[in-house]
Amino acid sequence: MAEPSANGGGGTSSATDQKAVKDWLAQLALGSRFWVRCAVTAGTIAGIATIIQMVLLARIVHLGVVDEVPVADLSPLFLGLVLVLVVRALGQGFQTRFAARCSEQVRREARRQLHKHWQSTGPVELGQTSAGTLAREWIDHVEALHGYFARFLPQMTLSMIVPALILVLVFWLDWLAGIFLVLSAPLIPLFMALVGMGAEKLNQQHFETISRLSGQFLDKVRGLTTLQLFGQTAGAAELIRIRSDHYRRVTMKTLRVAFLSSAVLEFFASVAIAVIAIYIGFGLLGYITYGPSEDLTLFSGLLILLLAPEFFQPLRTLSQHYHDRAAAMGAGTEILERLKSSVNVESVADKAPIEGAEDQIELRSVSKSFRSDQSVLRDLTLTIRKGDVIALTGPSGGGKSTLLHLLAGFLAPDAGEIHLFGQAPGSFRFGWLGQKGFLVHGTWADNLRLTTPDASDIAIKTALRNVGLGSLLDSRQQGIHSPVSEAGQGLSGGQARRLSLARIFLADYDLILLDEPTAGLDSDSEVFVLEALHKLSMAGKTLIFSTHHQALLTLANRVLLITDGEVRDA
Amino acid sequence: MRELKPWLTLILRRPGRLVVGGLLILATLLSGIGLLAVSGWFITETALVGLLLAAGVAATINLYVPGGAIRMFAVSRTVFRYMERVYNHDTVLRLLTDIRVALFQRLSGASRVRRGELSGAQWLSRLTNDVDALDTLYLRLIAPAALAGLVTLLVVALSAVLFDVSTAMQVGVVLIIALVIATISVYLRTWRQVARQSDRQEALRTAVIEHIEGFSELTAAGRTGKHAAWLMRQAHQVNSDQAKADTRIGWHLAGSHLLVNLSAVLALWSGFTLFQTDQVSGPVLVLLPIALLGLAEVYVMLPDAFGKLGATIASATRLNRDSRAEKQAPVPGTAQLPPQTALFAENITVKHTGYAPLFTRFNLQIEDGKRIGILGHSGSGKSSLADVFAGLMPSAQGNLARKDCVYLTQKTVLFEDTLRANLLLGSPEASDTELWRILELMELADRFSTEPDQLDTWLGSAGSRLSGGEARRVALARVLLNSAPLIILDEPFTGLDSETRARIAKRMDALLEGKTVISLAHGSDALPGTDRVIHLSG
Repeated sequence: MAEPSANGGGGTSSATDQKAVKDWLAQLALGSRFWVRCAVTAGTIAGIATIIQMVLLARIVHLGVVDEVPVADLSPLFLGLVLVLVVRALGQGFQTRFAARCSEQVRREARRQLHKHWQSTGPVELGQTSAGTLAREWIDHVEALHGYFARFLPQMTLSMIVPALILVLVFWLDWLAGIFLVLSAPLIPLFMALVGMGAEKLNQQHFETISRLSGQFLDKVRGLTTLQLFGQTAGAAELIRIRSDHYRRVTMKTLRVAFLSSAVLEFFASVAIAVIAIYIGFGLLGYITYGPSEDLTLFSGLLILLLAPEFFQPLRTLSQHYHDRAAAMGAGTEILERLKSSVNVESVADKAPIEGAEDQIELRSVSKSFRSDQSVLRDLTLTIRKGDVIALTGPSGGGKSTLLHLLAGFLAPDAGEIHLFGQAPGSFRFGWLGQKGFLVHGTWADNLRLTTPDASDIAIKTALRNVGLGSLLDSRQQGIHSPVSEAGQGLSGGQARRLSLARIFLADYDLILLDEPTAGLDSDSEVFVLEALHKLSMAGKTLIFSTHHQALLTLANRVLLITDGEVRDA
Repeated sequence: MRELKPWLTLILRRPGRLVVGGLLILATLLSGIGLLAVSGWFITETALVGLLLAAGVAATINLYVPGGAIRMFAVSRTVFRYMERVYNHDTVLRLLTDIRVALFQRLSGASRVRRGELSGAQWLSRLTNDVDALDTLYLRLIAPAALAGLVTLLVVALSAVLFDVSTAMQVGVVLIIALVIATISVYLRTWRQVARQSDRQEALRTAVIEHIEGFSELTAAGRTGKHAAWLMRQAHQVNSDQAKADTRIGWHLAGSHLLVNLSAVLALWSGFTLFQTDQVSGPVLVLLPIALLGLAEVYVMLPDAFGKLGATIASATRLNRDSRAEKQAPVPGTAQLPPQTALFAENITVKHTGYAPLFTRFNLQIEDGKRIGILGHSGSGKSSLADVFAGLMPSAQGNLARKDCVYLTQKTVLFEDTLRANLLLGSPEASDTELWRILELMELADRFSTEPDQLDTWLGSAGSRLSGGEARRVALARVLLNSAPLIILDEPFTGLDSETRARIAKRMDALLEGKTVISLAHGSDALPGTDRVIHLSG
């Protein structure tokens, strides 16, 4: 079967990308370093409390068993032990609390950065990417940062601090036992690399498998009606079973290897404990005649044994959270790619005030190109009077949309000046009607108030009637307060565009820009749109639209023909 | 919990694997506890014997049994851990397959209206996040919880044997409280936050997509900032709920950890009383508290898993709701099909639930071999009418009878699969020659004979490697391959230019000789050849 290769989960990014992502993550961490530090401090306190707990335990056992101190005399130590346990629990609890706060703050910052980027990218460039992808970045990829900041990052610091503290204590107790631990210490980075590689591969494999499989599964579910129509649901279920099982076998091959690396860490931790236990046992028996073992007591021996697992514990925890890092790196790569993508519009605030007549739109020597070798508009000078109805026509790709986007301020010109009634493009509110209508989940009123928050109910009703949606509204029980789409019955493309047009009616803008307002409409919607535009022109609005539609060309009092970067009156 | 029942039943269909996997986890946990406990026992024993030896008292110690046990536990912990992980992940993937197949089968019997309500992103989240929550239910939740209970029992029994019953009782009570804190209590304290998490995230996604789709209009109206601030607040609400749940999970983990440690302290305290009355030996006195400390590792997984249980139940609820079997609609009378008739509709009413009817008292009788065209502008309800004819939607009233039919829906649906697999849906037994012939007819043969994989050319998701017109023709070809005597075509030529349309329509006429065809379109030029045209007004 000619399946295409899976489009991967970030495994192709180069080393420099990885570094950039790490820097970006570090920068985010810097922004909420207060909470990171709090989490690490709480974790360290819990670690120190653990060490004291073990010291007290070993001390109590030694005093009770070897020195045979009566249990009543041990009660202060017992009390201390309970106290230390409470401190340890508090440390653990606060660590998660602070870490959760840190992650919360980081995610907000990442979302803010993305949104800021959207704004400076502008609607035209943003439209090149599907809304689903952008939403996934803004929601899911930012969420994927959570584990890294809430678990991995504090744990990484802790996995250095706590073992180091334990090591110092063990060395002080018995340097030979300390050496056993130290011997495993240089191996730790090796474990980490092994575990890391395993986890990375695991994550990538998991990601690919899941996305591939669920893609196909999703596909079957969405086409279920078609499968039912052809009576093929049983066959499709069998296919899902076979494919899913095939992926299981492939995934298991990788998993068997990936799990080996964490088994190595587990093995060294277990062996270190066993070696230390046997060494201490023989030392206590006096079988070992060299080194510090003669000084071993039940206290020091037991303490070393109790500390050995705690030495490895932070590292084991870290390896459990390693996939959080891999997930954050993957998500970070995509977010960073977005943030680095080109920006088209200078923010309105940067624009110097422009002088020009207040009753006309002026373009002076405006040029715009997207590729250096081919300009879409060349040295365009044009004056449009207030209240004019302008139709832009010409072959597709000729520059009609570009001119509209320049007027809207969605694109900045390469050269030249644009004045709209004495103001810069994008510095005041105007009406825009794209080829796709725009509606949000909610009532008719919600949808219209999106751009005009303080509109009255009556004004909303009037605006909707103006675009021929009155009869649809009458069929809804709660009028403008009923949801736009009910029971899965959405609006048709034409109705959605009319809804957008109703917003323009409601807002009373001076300038209205429309990109092919009648393209692809059914004849009903077309009539309503034409009528509505006529009403707007009668109300003295300045209308500029691109079109091929004869009826619209007739509506205009000036038709501009745009071909090959030139604009002239038709 | 009731919502989980069907999925639990599904998971429990593999009792053998579940038990083996559980035993492997148990062996891992016991090896870990055994390693530390025996080591503690060994060190104390050697310390005491060492003191006796140093004092010149003759004493013996068996080094082989404890030494061997320590080595064995060290190795078995690693080996069992590895085996457990491999085995149980295999189980999870098997469960994933089971759940997918079961879900698909349930969905195919479920309401079509409900299916249509969900967006692509919602489906994706259902089929990944929600299904994932269920397939890991055993490994994350059931097995660790059951084993934690079992290991706790074993340790309490050990306390009763090594120490005495009253100590065992006290330790048992503390551990049960720890277990409750790590499980039920976490669930009760977090389910509200986590259960609504997914729904809120879905609502947020819809809102973000809308924000981007309306970005031009919002920018023009100068409202992107305001709208984005609103989105940020929604996102923040989702996050702070999550942070709240995380924090609570953290505190419960710390609490259960504290109690486990306290049980060790308690055992040590009562152990001393017994030690000083010579009821237990020193090494045994050390063994039990260390074993109890080891329990922390058994409990550590639980708070997180139970903190997600609320979300898991919410996932199950959503999947149950989406795949609920269709309520048996009042079946309209099925009329007897008159002879020589392919479709007979008498007084049928077409309406969506909760809406005014699109058509009432609609009558149509189509004789065998006739070609009927139905014209109506968009929104006139012609697709709903086609759905009723094809049986996808019940008619609210009246009688309807028809011969076997095949239906080309208005929406082009192709699968992420090969061209061949897509075509064979129409006629599973069709030969390659037949497939090429129908592609020829659709003027697609040249398009695919130049592809390296020919009939095995992979069509991307929703046929994304094809243009709209090509995809439409593949869907049409698939319908034409089917042998049903009645063919319903809703806007068959969407995306085709008028010349191609005319050529294909002409060739279709020959192919459809003797069959009954109902074609629906918005204009007469979008119809294939017809004997009679009905205009819908509405």
